[in-house]
Amino acid sequence: MEQRAPYGNEVRIRIGGPAGFGIKAAGATLARVFARAGYRTFDLTEYPSLIKGGHNTIHLRVSEDEIFSHVTPTDILVALDAATIPLHLDELTDGGAIVFDPHDIAADAIELGDLAGRVCLVPVPLTDIVREVGGVRIMRNITALGAVLGHMGFPLEGLVDSLQRQFAHKDPSVAEQNVAAATRGFESAAESHCEFPYKLAPRTGEPTRILTDGNTATAIGALAGGLGFYAAYPMTPASTVLHYLAAHAEREGVVVKHTEDEIAAINMCIGAAFGGTRSMCATSGGGFSLMVEALGFAGVSETAIVVGLFTRPGPATGLPTWTEQSDLRFAIHAAQGEFPRVILAPGDQAEAFEFAWKALNIADQLQTPVILLGDTYLCENTQTVEPFDGAAVTIDRGAFQAEGSVTDYQRYAHSPTGVSLRAIPGVIGAEQLVNSYEHDEHGFGSPGEVAATRINQNAKRLTKMRLAASLVPAPREYGPREAELSFIVFGSTKMPVREAMKWLEADGISANMLQITTVWPFPAQEVFEFIERSKRTVVVEGNATGQLEGIIREFCMREPGHRINRFDGRPFSPEQIYETAHAIAGQPVPQRVSPEATGGDA
Amino acid sequence: MPTPEQLQTIHPPTWCPGCGNHSMWKALRQAISEMGWASNEFSMVWGIGCHGNGADFTLTQGMHALHGRALPPATALAMTRPDLHVIAEVGDGDCYGLGMGHFIHTLRRNPNMTIIAHDNQVYGLTTGQASPTTEHLMPSVSTPGGVLEQPANPIGLALAENATFVARGFAGDVEHLVGLYKQAFEHKGLALVDVLQPCVTWNKLNTAAWFRDRIYKLEETDWDASNRSAAFDLSMAAFREMTCTPDECRIPIGVIYRQEGVPTYEDGITAASTPGWRRASVPRDVSALVDALS
Repeated sequence: MEQRAPYGNEVRIRIGGPAGFGIKAAGATLARVFARAGYRTFDLTEYPSLIKGGHNTIHLRVSEDEIFSHVTPTDILVALDAATIPLHLDELTDGGAIVFDPHDIAADAIELGDLAGRVCLVPVPLTDIVREVGGVRIMRNITALGAVLGHMGFPLEGLVDSLQRQFAHKDPSVAEQNVAAATRGFESAAESHCEFPYKLAPRTGEPTRILTDGNTATAIGALAGGLGFYAAYPMTPASTVLHYLAAHAEREGVVVKHTEDEIAAINMCIGAAFGGTRSMCATSGGGFSLMVEALGFAGVSETAIVVGLFTRPGPATGLPTWTEQSDLRFAIHAAQGEFPRVILAPGDQAEAFEFAWKALNIADQLQTPVILLGDTYLCENTQTVEPFDGAAVTIDRGAFQAEGSVTDYQRYAHSPTGVSLRAIPGVIGAEQLVNSYEHDEHGFGSPGEVAATRINQNAKRLTKMRLAASLVPAPREYGPREAELSFIVFGSTKMPVREAMKWLEADGISANMLQITTVWPFPAQEVFEFIERSKRTVVVEGNATGQLEGIIREFCMREPGHRINRFDGRPFSPEQIYETAHAIAGQPVPQRVSPEATGGDA
Repeated sequence: MPTPEQLQTIHPPTWCPGCGNHSMWKALRQAISEMGWASNEFSMVWGIGCHGNGADFTLTQGMHALHGRALPPATALAMTRPDLHVIAEVGDGDCYGLGMGHFIHTLRRNPNMTIIAHDNQVYGLTTGQASPTTEHLMPSVSTPGGVLEQPANPIGLALAENATFVARGFAGDVEHLVGLYKQAFEHKGLALVDVLQPCVTWNKLNTAAWFRDRIYKLEETDWDASNRSAAFDLSMAAFREMTCTPDECRIPIGVIYRQEGVPTYEDGITAASTPGWRRASVPRDVSALVDALS
């Protein structure tokens, strides 16, 4: 039994069942209904690597207040099969409800244990309703959504409107059946005479917010930034970037290529970028392993490409559909030799949009690869955000050789910043060789094996890292300047830590956070200063070995005081961070919010 | 438009004396010159190997890519720069070994570009190990007991994957090679010219004299290059009979198969109709995409 956290007016709904039951789609529809009704939402999808069967869930959080991440407690559990009930019983809050189909399991066969009398059973004949409206079995999910709203006493109109829009391009009977099923579900749950203790009603006067996952945000950010070529091989959790861009390629004028492998994807990006087109590819750690050789090629040939490295637990195939942040060191050190690179780590969906277009600019400005480092938690989960600000997007393509003035063009000419003037093929007089070998100023490899040429060119390239430091997003700080606890994070961990900070503040524990937005070049000075003025630093990162912590030691020569790590494939929950932070602050946790095991505290 | 001499850099070729790459390079510069292309109208991408060293000697707006990886960047260039003629120079070790996957998939795509393969049947630059086209049972430093695999058949593979222009040349006949190159450049779609290129240093079996004894020109016969199944039969015969005596077999050079009018990959994507770099000068208006998320 979960106690209800006393933070804001919110409802948490989990929909569970086997893959193929339309669980994610149902959650997305419900999220949209509440988002349009003026609420903030965050949904977390969890699923094994199976197309049919297994156990999938989507956990949707709906709140009046600003929220930053998912949470664990569940107020309404929608069980699309009987197996879902025992798996999530522990999460149910006092006064919570289970929406189930008596066709799957009889009400008296549900073993509630200690929960008997404290949660409400809401039997809804999903299977019968779908049959009666002439629908197909998968429509049990929409029927259940109607039941959720009926149980909550929330108006059905928003769902009806969503369904009508969603199925507008299909035969009218599809929308009619879905609306009928949702309506019957709504009525059935409303008849259950179960009081739902948490009241939400449509809100007026709220600003329009959009619903986005990290991958959609990245794709739109890259499009805003003038993306002209995208190549990828499908790999979770990066695949939906490919799907989104492929669906919009024709209209937006982007060449999108599903290649034979990740090696082809990144090499194609290099070819397109050599031709002057803004180019990007994305993959996960396994695909990035294959891309590593060409990453070095982009480095030595000074080709501007953006590579999305969206991580999941490894090594090898690992846990394909879960999340982890264990490829940080890999991103920093991938490929042989030494060459400049930039690694941006967006921490939420808004930053996924922002960093995508900025990455394209930085790649062009530095003429070197830029890695966008994300993870499953950021890529696949959806939250409400302010609409992306297209007006803030600027394009900076870096230093180009002016046409018509080219004589003795040197692709790799020396400059104080390390960046040479670039001329793409087709510029009259700009004969050049863009070379994977070490090379001279013209790009020729023959004299590249001369030691002096090697030293000059290698030093020229590495000089770019100084310019990089002035172009990249600076670390971002949240919370009061002086605080009891100071978190240091990169990437998506920002989200649950911000949520936990809100709860800690309510308990009277002040906390702040330094989010390292650019992990390479590492912002050593800013991190050093943050640690110096912090009472207790806590590094929170989704890996076992403390990779960020080690980098902090290396660059700042400071010992971060505490750590919270997680590497079981599950994202950090705010409850885990909140509880551990209480322990670090030396204060008892006022109430038990989560049954989860907490990470080690060094 | 450049003369053959203007297509040379200040770096003289470093290939072994007598290497077939010299004559292939000569034929390439002659063919480009005869095409009348200005120096900014074409781009070249090389793989890694002895052939790839030609990148240093050839004055163009090109790229020296990774071992086995010339075709993906060349394909992307063709997809995003329809204003350029794209030529990929590859080696047999490079493209038919490490790059075989890209080779097959590039054939399937039919991008508008030309692949010139330097097929000397050994790894020259890494001192003579067997390559995918080395003959069965021929010994090398990496296969002292002889190659146990059957040689790869680039012509047969190309035909099997619906390549629209498949030709074989011989490095010992520059004039003939110039003609093949020009036909390949003029072809709309993917053109493969696999060039038998004797390696004087490492391949002591398939020498220039060995080839001269066996080759004949298809255009001097009544060969019908539009007959795909005949082309396939020919590719299998030529491939199987490489170890035979001059009396037992002959090796055809020339255009083995040609099919005009097949849509290219770029024809299937509207985004490929204008150069990709033109799109990135101002931010794209994504307001409709953002609105769709509300």
